Amino acid sequence: MIAAAVILIVSTALFFYYLQVACQKILRRQFDREYSQSIANANRLEFPSLRKSLEEFGSPVDYPWLRTMLKCDFLTLTYLLKNAANLNQRYSKEEHLLILYFRWQFVSLAVRRLLKLSEKNAILRLTSVLQYFANVVGQRVNAVRFGSLTATDYLLNL
Amino acid sequence: MIEAALVLYVAWSSQWKRQAAAAFYLTCLLVAQLTRACVLHAYGFASQRYYYIYWSTDFLLVLSAYLAVCLLFRRAGLREEKNWRLIRLLLVSVFVLVAALSGVSLSLNRNEFFTYFIIAFNQNLYFACLALNTLLYVLLQYIDSTDDELALLVCGVGIQFAGPTATLALLHLTAGERFAQSLTASVMPLCSLGMLLVWAYAITHAKDAATQITRRVAEATADLNV
Repeated sequence: MIAAAVILIVSTALFFYYLQVACQKILRRQFDREYSQSIANANRLEFPSLRKSLEEFGSPVDYPWLRTMLKCDFLTLTYLLKNAANLNQRYSKEEHLLILYFRWQFVSLAVRRLLKLSEKNAILRLTSVLQYFANVVGQRVNAVRFGSLTATDYLLNL
Repeated sequence: MIEAALVLYVAWSSQWKRQAAAAFYLTCLLVAQLTRACVLHAYGFASQRYYYIYWSTDFLLVLSAYLAVCLLFRRAGLREEKNWRLIRLLLVSVFVLVAALSGVSLSLNRNEFFTYFIIAFNQNLYFACLALNTLLYVLLQYIDSTDDELALLVCGVGIQFAGPTATLALLHLTAGERFAQSLTASVMPLCSLGMLLVWAYAITHAKDAATQITRRVAEATADLNV
């Protein structure tokens, strides 16, 4: 009985740990250049400013606003991932995994809020997923090159 | 589908040697699933034959998983023969220990080979694989390995083993309650899917990264020549 309980706890912890490590390894991917800022500017996404304020000042943020903002950015970026310069019109395998990871971190943020734990790391993880998505979108748009349009111009006309 | 695509990709990109562990386990997974699907189609879910085939293939799968973990250990940069000899001894000892522990279950219930030995053996070997995989992960951190692809393969194995081990333990704790049974039935394929997604990324992205590095080195060399 005790052995089974120990196995249950250890295995569950390891499952989430491995999932997190795998997602973070994917997020560490190097892009040939930084596309996320131009994508964020073109679509008025707010995650870069949030990330910057958290990294520089670690300032507390208004939770309902933060939640809405992250959700809006996530919806915009997942729409772009699927539709902007994507001939298959579907997510790739790592994008599926990162979407699940984002949702899991989103729930984890709510739980942390409820338990009054530090939310900073969870928010940074969420913004790093959004930054990765923005980089992927930027890279795709850049690869397609629509005439003389830049990535920003293309997205503004989408 | 993903298994078949990955095996084909490994064959097409001539990565058999580099991806030996992943290719071997994926092939076994594919063969097991095809066999199960054929028997299920021919005899039905409630048939005795499907029951035996399911657990026999599960037995073979867990053995192949153990072998895959051994191959990952071999790949993990343990170039020194002395280290590898020690690891090999550990791997063999763990396997013998798991077989002996499961044998105790069989000796208590001699007539129930499938219900006791196979299930106990699979459960114990799953946990042993998980423990060894964690040891391998720690070892990779300790030697400061730069092989990101191997780290991702190890994470994939961890996801594949940790989920089923947890649900099997829950099943054991709740004495096979309906909730635990349905959770086990849904968690196992989800974990396999998780592992396949991570492996697919590791296998396909590794080649892209290698190409990118080669291109950058070539560019740098050209710049130097100029």
